Amino acid sequence: MRSWAPRRGSQLSSRALQALAMVSAAGLLASGCGSPAPAPAASGHVTGPKVVITTRTLPGVGKVLTDSRGYVLYMFEPDGRRQVTCTGACAGTWPPVMLPAAAVLAAGPGVKSRLLGSDPDPSGGKVITYAGWPLYTYSGDVQPGQATGQAIDLNGGEWYVLRTSGAPLIPSPQS
Amino acid sequence: MTTPQPRSRSPRVTRRAVLLGGGAVAAGTAGAGAARALAGSSPVSSPVPDATLVPPTEDLMREHGVLKRVLLAYRELIRRFQAGEPLPAQPMHDAALIIHDYIEGFHEGLEEGYVFPRLRQAGQLTGTVTTLLVQHARGRELTQRILSGATSRAVAVGGNRARLAGAMTAFVRMYEPHEAREDTVVFPAFRAIVPAAEFAGLGRHFAELENQQFGAGAFAEMTGRVAGIERALGIYDLAQFTPQV
Repeated sequence: MRSWAPRRGSQLSSRALQALAMVSAAGLLASGCGSPAPAPAASGHVTGPKVVITTRTLPGVGKVLTDSRGYVLYMFEPDGRRQVTCTGACAGTWPPVMLPAAAVLAAGPGVKSRLLGSDPDPSGGKVITYAGWPLYTYSGDVQPGQATGQAIDLNGGEWYVLRTSGAPLIPSPQS
Repeated sequence: MTTPQPRSRSPRVTRRAVLLGGGAVAAGTAGAGAARALAGSSPVSSPVPDATLVPPTEDLMREHGVLKRVLLAYRELIRRFQAGEPLPAQPMHDAALIIHDYIEGFHEGLEEGYVFPRLRQAGQLTGTVTTLLVQHARGRELTQRILSGATSRAVAVGGNRARLAGAMTAFVRMYEPHEAREDTVVFPAFRAIVPAAEFAGLGRHFAELENQQFGAGAFAEMTGRVAGIERALGIYDLAQFTPQV
């Protein structure tokens, strides 16, 4: 779990924190069985070798990208389609969608596989991208199918959901 | 594909401007949307001296203290609205900007990234955590409304005054029990399940993250900022709150 990764100089050893991350990931996987899927602490943990980016049609929003559990994915304007800039506390609110080592990235129905990719995460690992935009979930979406992070101005920039074309859904200016 | 433009191009507020009281963006700025700090443009951080480190829950609780003082400012503004008095846009905007940049843009990220997931993993307070997450999201919407409306022009209009007062009232009503529950239930539960060495390491990690995002001495500067807001609203003198008995 990337959110536990220490900065350089932390008193905790990297190995200790990695072990903690593995325990944390296992616990989250276990807690996800049965009833409504819990809000993601870190969206990127998956049970197998395949990470699927798919879509969901939301009332008032339309068809947008989601992870395999149905949690809506967002782009962060300051990333500029070049790099992951949401780190530290920002990543607590907007967990990046990680691509685990040796995992295969797969496109669900409607998703353009040629637009899928990854960028290095400054905190370690790789973050999945779509049309160059690093992908994140939002801590405020506590159930699949919510998009409460849409058009929020937070952590230094704007956040938007993504269409399958790769275009962010930017609302028209209010009159 | 070209980089999309945000739907409301509000003036960027640098971290330096926020910390030095640069709230001038509020005064009469037509159509000002939510001003924002450039989270990625903080100056090079200094090492965190051991003497300044506090446990992570104490760190979060003192940040709650900053939140509490903003709630006091909101209460004073609500009182003025209810009394039919003018609403000063500048301190209102400055207060909301502290919430946006420091509480919502940093403090809540620490809770969401480090405290809540650990409690969920342990199967503790899962319902409470969900409620707290929803309230964080709702609070951000309210802050956007306050920031957007805290202009000299907008506060002079009756309907806008009422909306601002309504947003501040809802914010205060939600966050007073929210932070009280965190301080008395959530943080003690978190401390109980995290091993001591890891707990200490988190304290340093939180300090480093704050340093990287805001520069050295951020907490002191934020308390200085909120004191300035209190002085502007006439609520800084603590003794005035002592009741006659």
